[in-house]
Amino acid sequence: MDSELGDRRVSAGGTATREARDLLPLKILIAGGFGVGKTTLVAALSEVPPLSTEQQMTSLSDGVDDTSIVPDKTTTTVAMDFGRVTVDDSLVLYLFGTPGQSRFWFMWDELARGAVGAVVLVDLRRIDDSFAAIDYFENRGLPFVVALNSFPGTDGVDVDVVRDALAVPARCPIRYVDARDDGSCTDVLITLVEHSLARSV
Amino acid sequence: MTVDRRQRPHADGGRVVPNYAFTAGRTRSAAGTDMPIEALVTATEAGLAKAPGLPPEARAIVEVSTVPQSLAEIGALLGVPIGVARVLVSDLAAEDHLAVHLPLVGSDGRPRRELLERLLDGLRAR
Repeated sequence: MDSELGDRRVSAGGTATREARDLLPLKILIAGGFGVGKTTLVAALSEVPPLSTEQQMTSLSDGVDDTSIVPDKTTTTVAMDFGRVTVDDSLVLYLFGTPGQSRFWFMWDELARGAVGAVVLVDLRRIDDSFAAIDYFENRGLPFVVALNSFPGTDGVDVDVVRDALAVPARCPIRYVDARDDGSCTDVLITLVEHSLARSV
Repeated sequence: MTVDRRQRPHADGGRVVPNYAFTAGRTRSAAGTDMPIEALVTATEAGLAKAPGLPPEARAIVEVSTVPQSLAEIGALLGVPIGVARVLVSDLAAEDHLAVHLPLVGSDGRPRRELLERLLDGLRAR
């Protein structure tokens, strides 16, 4: 962490509207199974302590009881940790740690819309936990990179073995990352943006 | 005053698209159901001038937005779900108390190439 902590580069007071006219947000999704280190990675990169927000999702259950006049509603509250990186004078990047469980996929569509791409974090001791996220992003055509979070005892695992095991397409980068380390996490984001640019026409 | 021609993400899958009006970087929204969670919100001069007379939640939003805040940040800072923050922000934007800055995406629904290049430059400079 450096001196940019908390520096939003937009001076408070004065005419906020004029200063803010060219502001543009971007977002990157941080996906992966429970406990894989999503929040750790967000915290390493964010210039403010990660915040948590709740999204209430209501979905109509259909096909369960067709004769019902009032459809059953299911409300789920999903918590998301997120962080913020000021890129330049007007560009602000948000990192959203997305719930890894497949039952929350209905909210991924909204999250994925307009995203730069996604980082799928993998714990090599439990790689199956990340398969669903890889499958999802591959199907939706969202650029993603696979980041192997370093845990004790996972050094030296061959990337090609992981690629085969998780059916990661050849064009999709796989990198090792230390989710606690700002520089290591930044390198993964750079890899993602380069990959996203290569796929951009 | 220039008209802001930025595009917003296209809804797909039959979602209802609200009619945002783009005026000098401000986005007005009647419903705002499509406002993404990363949309940036800033207080306007009018909003700051009227903040003391606004209801507590509205006043809090205008006051934290003296520095740019995303919809997600407003939800977190006020301790309300994103959906609630979205409604409050939409109402305040409709009254010109807030300006909303939407993502800039191309016709393919992805961020424009020049933005990705600026992002890359910014990350490499970290």
